[in-house]
Amino acid sequence: MTLTPQKTGVPEQRRHAMQVRKRNGDLEPVDVNKIVKAVELWVADLDEVDPLRVATKTISGLYDGATTAELDKLSIQTAAELIGEEPQYSRLAARLLAAYVDKEVRGQGVASFSQSIRHAHALGLIGEETAAFVSRNARKLDDAIDVAGDLRFEYFGLRTVADRYLLRHPTDRTVVETPQYWLLRVACGLSQDAREAIGFYRLMSSLAYLPSSPTLFNSGTRHTQMSSCFLVDSPKDELDSIYERYHQVAKLSKFSGGIGIAWSRVRGRGALIRGTNGKSNGIVPFLKTLDAGVAAVNQGGRRKGAACVYLEPWHPDIEEFLELRDNTGEESRRTHNLNLANWIPDEFMRRVEADAEWSLIDPSDAPELPDLFGAEFDEAYRAAEKNAVKTVKARDLYGRMMRTLAQTGNGWMTFKDRSNALSNQTGEPGNTIHLSNLCTEILEVNNDDETAVCNLGSINLGGHVTADGVDWEKLRETVRTAIVYLDRVIDINYYPSQQAAASNPRWRPVGLGLMGLQDAFFTLRLPFDSAAARELSTRVQEEIFLTALESSVALAERFGPHPAYSQTRAAKGELHPDLWGATVSQTERWEALRSSIATHGLRNSLLIAIAPTATIASIAGAYECIEPQVSNLFKRETMSGEFLQINTYLVRELKARGLWTAEIREQIKRAEGSVQGITELPDDVRELFRTAWELPQRALIDLAAARAPYIDQSQSLNLFMAAPTINKVSSMYLYAWKSGLKTSYYLRSRPATRIQQATVAVAAPVVAAAPVSLIPALTEAELCSLENPESCEACQ
Amino acid sequence: MLLDPGMDLTLRPMKYPHFFDRFKDSIKNTWTVEEVDLHGDLADLAKLTPAEQHLVSRLVAFFATGDTIVANNLVLNLYQHVNSPEGRLYLSRQLFEEAVHVQFYLNLLDTYVPDEKERNEAFAAVENIPSIARKAEFCFKWIDSVFDLRALETKEHRRAFLLNVICFAACIEGLFFYGAFAYVYFLRSRGVLQGLASGTNWVFRDESMHMAFAFDVVDQVRAEEPDLFDARMEQQVRDMLAEAVECEVQFAADLLEQGVSGMSLGDMREYLQHVADRRLAALGIDPVYGSKNPFAFMELQDVQELSNFFERRVSAYQVGVSGSVSFDDDF
Repeated sequence: MTLTPQKTGVPEQRRHAMQVRKRNGDLEPVDVNKIVKAVELWVADLDEVDPLRVATKTISGLYDGATTAELDKLSIQTAAELIGEEPQYSRLAARLLAAYVDKEVRGQGVASFSQSIRHAHALGLIGEETAAFVSRNARKLDDAIDVAGDLRFEYFGLRTVADRYLLRHPTDRTVVETPQYWLLRVACGLSQDAREAIGFYRLMSSLAYLPSSPTLFNSGTRHTQMSSCFLVDSPKDELDSIYERYHQVAKLSKFSGGIGIAWSRVRGRGALIRGTNGKSNGIVPFLKTLDAGVAAVNQGGRRKGAACVYLEPWHPDIEEFLELRDNTGEESRRTHNLNLANWIPDEFMRRVEADAEWSLIDPSDAPELPDLFGAEFDEAYRAAEKNAVKTVKARDLYGRMMRTLAQTGNGWMTFKDRSNALSNQTGEPGNTIHLSNLCTEILEVNNDDETAVCNLGSINLGGHVTADGVDWEKLRETVRTAIVYLDRVIDINYYPSQQAAASNPRWRPVGLGLMGLQDAFFTLRLPFDSAAARELSTRVQEEIFLTALESSVALAERFGPHPAYSQTRAAKGELHPDLWGATVSQTERWEALRSSIATHGLRNSLLIAIAPTATIASIAGAYECIEPQVSNLFKRETMSGEFLQINTYLVRELKARGLWTAEIREQIKRAEGSVQGITELPDDVRELFRTAWELPQRALIDLAAARAPYIDQSQSLNLFMAAPTINKVSSMYLYAWKSGLKTSYYLRSRPATRIQQATVAVAAPVVAAAPVSLIPALTEAELCSLENPESCEACQ
Repeated sequence: MLLDPGMDLTLRPMKYPHFFDRFKDSIKNTWTVEEVDLHGDLADLAKLTPAEQHLVSRLVAFFATGDTIVANNLVLNLYQHVNSPEGRLYLSRQLFEEAVHVQFYLNLLDTYVPDEKERNEAFAAVENIPSIARKAEFCFKWIDSVFDLRALETKEHRRAFLLNVICFAACIEGLFFYGAFAYVYFLRSRGVLQGLASGTNWVFRDESMHMAFAFDVVDQVRAEEPDLFDARMEQQVRDMLAEAVECEVQFAADLLEQGVSGMSLGDMREYLQHVADRRLAALGIDPVYGSKNPFAFMELQDVQELSNFFERRVSAYQVGVSGSVSFDDDF
């Protein structure tokens, strides 16, 4: 950056009427009518949109001599800024953006899908096979493009696509594909013939299903790394192994993978190093190095690398581990880029409950512990206790874990025994799950030579539900298509490390997830914590799992079972609901399935994992995975900017009641997206539109446990507590463990001063006697963001 | 009374418990400079248009000295005259926060402006960039206005002191900084300089608390001595804010000189007038300008944020958590 940039483009004089510079360099006066006309082109069915308002507001933000491209961008931004008043402006902004992108693509002489692939291939962006496939089927594919497809996007979704998913020219950074070309390109990268590609494209274009981001980024390109998650076993207790892991993590991170890595095998602080007769500094300095490594690797310029470290609570450095994310203290012992998770054996939880002692044991004294679970672990652990480095009260350590969760949201509670005992992959001794992944929904075996890999995709449940209920046949059809493509990724995938390439072909695990559960509940008017909601969520999950298993059998029938099939529990006739002890509802289908598994086996050792879906849910315009809404009104801050998100179901409800007024909007804003104080709304409506902060968390755990029999991996389950106390949090996680959940994810809490300001307010002074009453009150007119900055920082 | 000359040391019984509450709340908002990742901003800086680069360079030059000036006034004037041990606890905490801000902006300039000569020029902005010098003069004038007062013996002394407090709360933290934040949030709404924006979020949160405390002090003094706030003083406050708005508008004219799409000088003036009206309202004075906030991206600051860890570090977590392990609490 320079402090004294040349004064290029300074308007000579400002008195004449405002002008814009056209793409050919000519100046022309800004004409409000022209902008109105350009906006009107896209209004169509958006009856609440006022094109004149967009035009005048756009002009007010313009400067004299701006380019027409700046004018176009500003009109998109201006439309987007009106979303808080009228959600239809989101559609308008999306359409203006689609038109802008379209213009950019056409500007490069690209007029069809096949031309876009040819152009991108010439630029070195498209893989040979996909280029050849498209060229062979050019006419069919070109005809398949749905010109109305872009109309389905909301602004935030399309902005995300345009800024981060569309392929760009390597040097001038212009986009070389439209959103619809992008989805068809993704489909072509995974398809064997045009019919198949078009079918898959239509499913994605309808936004009823989306594969995970790495697939959306990379399918059809030259580096087809399409997996989301990598689970790396702990380095061995030696320097070479530790440095090999840094290298592996860097390679995996480069191609968009999120990484889970265990660290339980590495000796703790003070343990003897025989080679030098010195004492170890423990795991923290090594994790500091990992932290720096993760931060250095940028995932293709699209998002930062991310990793989660798993540690078992018997490790001697567990207390220092729990401090790694604190924002005070010695910086050399802090890792701000790493996520932390506890990998907890049941023995620990039992001792917490019994208020017993807990031994910290150096892995160099008991190297077998990470590979054991259940009774074998308990026995080995008790035997190793006589060599304990230190003894603490189990409850004190548990309390420390709870404090870390409440203060940082990190230090996730994941349960080792349950994860292993209920896994299809642990049917034979020696196969152990050592950790979960970055988002705690993947549970797969790994070891020093094999890094577990999983590719993911999520069904948008909202796209399968109308006010009349779930369209079960459509849901089954989506699952069938999804499983075929998830399975296919395994063979086409580019594996960034040899350990990853070794594991995936043997186990062929996939993770089919779900998003938009909250959309379905809103559409069907079911409060999140109602019995009907729990029943629906469970039946949906059973249907998805059952259909996924049927699809995997069908694949096994054609291609044979996955090579490690004989080591699975399914090979012995045990399916996940059996392991859970659940009573299934579709008895006949399950029985038929069992016999076909017995005949053909399964193509995939694991099928279901509910990922957080942060980005793809945005693209689909759906609520994230199985989560309740966090607020009826919130904003997203991403690398693309800031975006207001408003609950359109609520807006519809308010409009129908004539309550969508400036006052009510202000009230919702002041209450940070809560409608509980809006007394004009009947109780049942307020109940329906509660936020995650207003729901009993017990219900979230109960819903998760009820659907868990039909999830053979796990689910990214966030829990929410505005003002956590150790008492509440410790009760909650004990309950989660007792419910049989395998894993949990973030504890979301809200910033400290916000809570203070909920009772205390700000403004025109009232002269009064007692000091306390002088704390000023927030008046309607005073209300604005500025004095309440805490409010914008909440949650996540 | 709060402004009685002296060094009150008595915390019990506590005379101004709301000051103590502010002290406790502010501690929960502790953040450190190391938590702000400015790395991604470097790529953004290179992408900015020359006009936007000019904006950013002027802006960081203002940040380079802004908080130091506020800290100086705190030590030289505020701490001396706010005679309440709990109030001074808050001011000590505020001083720490100002120091963190100074460190943040130091780090920001070291990162943004790698060239030593240019960096030194930025830190000397008060001397060599006229639009910033004009703002600094305004600040110094009000620091100096009470600098010679060792004890607030008369009503005129106390009035002079209140004007100093109001100047720093309403004009400097409440207008100059709020103007600066608007540029940062404008850039973030365009998806650039998120590191700067995330640090600014925290600075913004702190500054809002500082301002709220200063207004508490003003209200407290008014309650204890209602006749201090007479018509003449009201007029002085209006004049002071009008001058502050003019200072900030001429700064905006410099920043936006080359034309920045989406942030016109006209909109910026309206925004500043809108903020000034709000400050007057907080002091119980009728609005002067009647302007509306034209910046939708500033409205966005009112709405809670949801970001995931793939994007940026999350800033919402609590520092102080209480309680002990229990198994039967409701959740």
